[in-house]
Amino acid sequence: MLKKLDNYRHLIPKSYKQGMRIDGMIYADDELIKQIEKDLTKEQVANVATLPGLVGRSLAMPDAHQGYGFCIGGVAAADVDEGIVSAGGVGFDINCGVRLLSTPFEVDGIRAKLEQLINQLFRDIPCGTGRKGLLEVTKSELDKVLINGAQWAITNNYGDDKDIARIEEYGKIPDADPSLVSRRAKDRGQHQLGTLGSGNHFLEIQVVDEIYEPEVASKFGLHHNQIVVLIHSGSRGLGHQVCTDYLDMMQNGMKKYGISVVDRQLACVPIKSVEGQNYLKAMAASANFAFANRQMITHWTREAFKRILGRGDLKIVYDVCHNIAKYENHDVDGSQKRLLVHRKGATRAFPKNHPALPDDLRDVGQPVLIPGSMGTCSYVLVGTDKAMKETFGSSCHGAGRAMSRTQAKKETSADQLLNEMKSKGIYVRGESRSGLTEEKPDAYKDVSRVVEVVHGAGIARKVAKMLPLAVMKG
Amino acid sequence: MQKDYSILEHPSDLGIEAQGSSLIEAFQNAATALMSIILDLKTVTATECRHITVSAIDEEQLLVKWLSEILYVYDGQRFACSEFNIAELDRTHLEASVRGEMFLETKHRPKLDVKAVTYHQLSVKENDNKWIVRVFFDI
Repeated sequence: MLKKLDNYRHLIPKSYKQGMRIDGMIYADDELIKQIEKDLTKEQVANVATLPGLVGRSLAMPDAHQGYGFCIGGVAAADVDEGIVSAGGVGFDINCGVRLLSTPFEVDGIRAKLEQLINQLFRDIPCGTGRKGLLEVTKSELDKVLINGAQWAITNNYGDDKDIARIEEYGKIPDADPSLVSRRAKDRGQHQLGTLGSGNHFLEIQVVDEIYEPEVASKFGLHHNQIVVLIHSGSRGLGHQVCTDYLDMMQNGMKKYGISVVDRQLACVPIKSVEGQNYLKAMAASANFAFANRQMITHWTREAFKRILGRGDLKIVYDVCHNIAKYENHDVDGSQKRLLVHRKGATRAFPKNHPALPDDLRDVGQPVLIPGSMGTCSYVLVGTDKAMKETFGSSCHGAGRAMSRTQAKKETSADQLLNEMKSKGIYVRGESRSGLTEEKPDAYKDVSRVVEVVHGAGIARKVAKMLPLAVMKG
Repeated sequence: MQKDYSILEHPSDLGIEAQGSSLIEAFQNAATALMSIILDLKTVTATECRHITVSAIDEEQLLVKWLSEILYVYDGQRFACSEFNIAELDRTHLEASVRGEMFLETKHRPKLDVKAVTYHQLSVKENDNKWIVRVFFDI
């Protein structure tokens, strides 16, 4: 049974399921918990709590929904000495993430050119299923991408040095080892570098509609009526194959370490094992591919703005990972511990004064970017001390699906959806018509409600709200 | 080849259930189901052949690895398969030839990107001489 602790917290006690080693906790209000209880999310949070060496609680954010093994919107932290790493706990789209760009434009100045702008972006940034990137790198160059991430892209003229400080991990997770990324993964990634992808990946031109904390917003470079660009993409086929490869390896490796799991998708190995270390080095390489990918998309976005509006000086507000496992220090029962924090569909939300933040964000905290579903609003939040105390410095990552893809397609046609968007004044360019309907706004939970929960629970604070003006979908 | 599969719902993704009078047929139908989710198979002409060999610790993992291999051949080698012929299959080993052609943006109609094959609610079962396999894909 779920135990409601307050308006935003629901505890899954260890007694809920045999084998749970720690409690579970779902952050949700009364409405969201009803939606969350409709699928297997609660069971998956409990299943994660059975894994060896986890500390604190097995967590689910308010946008949580059923995933594979771990729920989407899940956070679990493992003790580096005794704990495990799970490839499924990071997910297939390693370092799927979002990046927000601020622009020097205000909405009134560019409204007339919006359609032209989104068409230009659609021409310049490869997206959709089966599309190749504009640049096919050699395998040896790809290895450099995997080691250096966004820094590789900048060295190759996709952006400038100032971009680096505004990317989680400075756009390069250390210890990446390309030799631990299979040829298969490289085959998949080689022709997909610099592509947006399909599914829920998108690029959206938005306007800042509301500011909740002017001082923090100003530090982030955001103001009312400003045009911003939100980019959602990941490590493409390369990351998917790395997860596939290591999930397979972990299936076989568990026996060696005497680990058994209640769901095969939770396959895991000790962090300190050779297999665990190899996975983390391959995961870092995949994450770096995703950082480079978003950096290249940023470059083409700047070029498109320059071509249509005459200025391309867009700044990165921040770039966050949604699917990742990271070594971090956290307070556990009064003492600092080195942990491996799995975030599967969750965002890092570090508070002010955290050493991982660049100097100019040190006195405000980390921007937390929350994309809404197509046609709804998105948010910028800021990390808090409470998130450090309760959620290993983590918060939600989006709206979270509420309806299956097949259900979404049954209920709405692409034409209906495009008309609905048009009536709201939103231009939509989508490579696939069926892909569009699968991503329709009401296939997702209400992002504002999700954000109210994290704000109310104190694990991030609202800074700004954005409304969409033009959307590019894969 | 008998086409016998259905699409299963998942809150964010998709699954399939494929049937066959033998395990080989069920595995072949699962492969057809996977590729028909990815692209319009009517646009693929089966002109070239490739060989696939997979080993696993049990039947269920064999199914995941078989489908993962077809996905890799498509996404990594850009070879779109439309016909699947499994020559040998036991609990832990599979040998097959698959037929299709190189993917062409101008010819083929892709429908959906499948990121990966998962172990979520994975099952391989025999019931009254009918084999049923179930597997979910990350979309």
